[in-house]
Amino acid sequence: MSGKKNRFTVLSLFKSVKTTMLCLFSLLIVITMAIFLLISVDYTKKTVLENSTDYTSRLVRQVNRDIDSYIDYMENISSMIIQGGDVQKYLFMKMPKEETEEVYGRIVTQFNTVVEARQDISNIAVVTPERDFIINGGADKLNENVSLQDVEWFEEALKGDGSILTASHVQHVIRNNYKWVVTLGKGIENPQTGKNGGVFFIDLNYKLLKDLCENNSLATNSYVFIVDEAGKIIYHPKQQLLYNGLKEERIEEVLECASDSYFITDERGEGEGKLYTVSVSEKTGWRVVGVADISELMKNKKETESVYVLTAAVLLGIAMVLAIFFATAITRPIKELKDSMKEVEKGNFENTDVVIRSDSEIDSLGNSFNLMTAKIRQLMEQNIYEQEEKRKSEMKALRSQINPHFLYNTLDSIIWMAEGGKNKEVVRMTSALARLLRQSISNDNERIPLEKEVDYAGSYLTIQKMRYRDKLEYEIEVAEDIKKEEIINLILQPLVENAIYHGIKYKGSKGLIRIVGYGEGDHIILKVIDNGIGMDEAALKGIFDKSRASEGNNGVGVHNVQTRIRLYYGAEYGLHFESTLGEGTTVTIVIPRNFREGEQDEST
Amino acid sequence: MKVHRKTALLWAAAITALALLGIFFWNNRRRDDGKNSIIFIPKVIDEDNDFWKLLIEGVEMAAAENNMDLTIVAPETEDDYAEQNALIEWAVEQNPSAILLTPSSFTETTPYAKKIVESGIPLILVDSEIDEDIADTVITTDNVKLGEVEGDYMRQYATEESQIAIIGHVEGSSTAIEREEGVRKGLGEYEDKIVDVVFCDSDYDKAYLLMMELMEKYPDIDLVAGLNEYSAVGAARAIKEKGRQDIRVVGIDSSLEEIQFLEEGIFEIIVIQNPFKMGYLGVEAAARLLNGEKVAKHIDSGCELISNDSVYTEENQKLLFPFREE
Repeated sequence: MSGKKNRFTVLSLFKSVKTTMLCLFSLLIVITMAIFLLISVDYTKKTVLENSTDYTSRLVRQVNRDIDSYIDYMENISSMIIQGGDVQKYLFMKMPKEETEEVYGRIVTQFNTVVEARQDISNIAVVTPERDFIINGGADKLNENVSLQDVEWFEEALKGDGSILTASHVQHVIRNNYKWVVTLGKGIENPQTGKNGGVFFIDLNYKLLKDLCENNSLATNSYVFIVDEAGKIIYHPKQQLLYNGLKEERIEEVLECASDSYFITDERGEGEGKLYTVSVSEKTGWRVVGVADISELMKNKKETESVYVLTAAVLLGIAMVLAIFFATAITRPIKELKDSMKEVEKGNFENTDVVIRSDSEIDSLGNSFNLMTAKIRQLMEQNIYEQEEKRKSEMKALRSQINPHFLYNTLDSIIWMAEGGKNKEVVRMTSALARLLRQSISNDNERIPLEKEVDYAGSYLTIQKMRYRDKLEYEIEVAEDIKKEEIINLILQPLVENAIYHGIKYKGSKGLIRIVGYGEGDHIILKVIDNGIGMDEAALKGIFDKSRASEGNNGVGVHNVQTRIRLYYGAEYGLHFESTLGEGTTVTIVIPRNFREGEQDEST
Repeated sequence: MKVHRKTALLWAAAITALALLGIFFWNNRRRDDGKNSIIFIPKVIDEDNDFWKLLIEGVEMAAAENNMDLTIVAPETEDDYAEQNALIEWAVEQNPSAILLTPSSFTETTPYAKKIVESGIPLILVDSEIDEDIADTVITTDNVKLGEVEGDYMRQYATEESQIAIIGHVEGSSTAIEREEGVRKGLGEYEDKIVDVVFCDSDYDKAYLLMMELMEKYPDIDLVAGLNEYSAVGAARAIKEKGRQDIRVVGIDSSLEEIQFLEEGIFEIIVIQNPFKMGYLGVEAAARLLNGEKVAKHIDSGCELISNDSVYTEENQKLLFPFREE
């Protein structure tokens, strides 16, 4: 038993099943919540990052497309102008002055139209290495301090075929210009030599790029920059910082990157990574790069996380309350069963039935318990009934019968008196005998009023007194207030009989028997006092011995009275003998007052 | 017992929920609190002046990078120290996280700069200094170095016969003194070839006239150092007018005119300060001070030598031509 107790079980963790359930529920809930939280947070992070990269790459692609469409537009303009032929005519054909001026006028008008129509075009010009030029509306001049051979892009455009695109730079070829531009240049073929004899170029206002890159709805602290294939910066909002060495840009990594891809840097010094989204233009070869602080992108994530945590907390609270509720509900039948069992343990079989609500295991347990207690109760009732029956038959058996010797002696006495003509005495004795017999025969009732019991003893004493003539005297003193009390019958007479045969009979002189009855508290005290020979200690001790009764005189006797009283009233009641040798004996009967049989058992 | 446990659990749940709420709001609060404010008081806000434009650009960029609220206030003119002092008082009242100041006056600004320091606001001086060492940090161009670069360059062409002139801006001003000192240092053994040091009071015309006079006085003059944009441009104008190709002029600071003179070959070189870097470093120093980091007392924002053929390099373009909205 104890060995089993020491074995570890979940239930042995806590004192009650309910606490165990609660704790395990809580543990379960918390673990579930934590796992749920971790997964959601992780998932959110992934989703947010995915969305962000998706968003930024779309944005960056859009910027790239916008730039492409601008460049396209510029190329269209340059193609249109070059293919118009006027430029070539003006630069390379020898024409009469009038015609030259006419062509010049046409070109200037064309240039003017473009520059005025498009705010994003800073300059439009044609320049030859020989320093012939037409710039914008014709008012602008070449910067005489700049030698064209030194201007990289000019040389490139002149020597190459197709158009070239510069990084952002200050336009210093045109005098007093110094605007920040991106130049789209194209060589113009001299039809006479078959080689490029000049350069047509359009300067794109740098502001255009700036606007394109800055008017995006990326998060704060994020930016867009553009590098060309060689890694030269076309546009960067923090170009100054880069040139001043105050900041570094991940140009190499950007150049290694495929189009429409992204990478994340983890600048340890700053603690937070940056998301680089790269889009490569097929047209220009430029790489448009969106740079965003992960922490900024994750701003939403933090909020979402907070909402998650909050929801989890609220759910946790609700779940706890529910757990308490459920644990209570589940364990209630067990608790009820336990309480019932405690009652049964104490011996109380009344109202111990457990309420059965369903047919769960616990309820079937309760059901079994109910059946068991019912069975026990039934068995106990049966037992009690049988005991009662047994007692009753015992009582019957123990009830004192009229001693046949006594009857015979009495009848003998009557005969003698009748022969002696003592009619009066005959009548008295016969009526006393008749009373005695009637009472002895008629009382099926175990209980009779005290006065009747006293009468019975009185009748007996009357007969005995007449038989023993002068040898016996008796007195009856019963208090009025107990006369109506019901007591079991046939208890006084055997005692009186005992007093006569063992006390008075052997006394030389006249004997006196007193019957005294009175109430004392909840008890009725009945005393049979004789002044006979009395008993010694040994006789007193053996007074209740059955053998003594059988050995002697009338078969019934003190023992039976004692047994009956105890059977009927309980062990605490019964007879008490006091005796002094030579002086007499007093038997005291103590029985309860107002005794109801139901108080002790259920006998009828 | 049963009831107690129940309430205890309920309390535990409630406390957990409250704690989580607390963390949530604390997080939010901290996100908002991190913003520092900074007030920058330059000598002037002049959109047409490249120096100020670049300086402010640097300040603005650093403020954006460091997530600071930036306010810029300045007097109408560069030398209006009274107005600037009033602005300093106003700025102190605003109780910003830090104040960036380009003092208008070496002496007159000092008492007001003191007020900033006394009110416990970090003070960062940018470009110019005051006569007391009370600022948390000073970010300037090393003026001696600036002059030294000029002098060093001139020394290559100096000979025993050389006649060297220095055209300063304001006599007695700290920058003029330091730059002159630098030029002398750079010239080394040819320091004694300096024939004259004149001051133009930051006026193109006066510088022009002074150069004219110098050319008359010293016909063999072959090396001229201008100590700021006014003196350099004024001298260059005079030299161009006289067509004296033999005179090598070096200048400090840049302007479009100066660059054009450089393109034309009037200027041999110009030495430029880096106002963008100055402004940027100023705000960055403020940010670091506010972060509890240590910042050097003096920070040199450096200078750059620009020659004819290095004007249009990728790096120098940005230094010389601030981007202008049109």
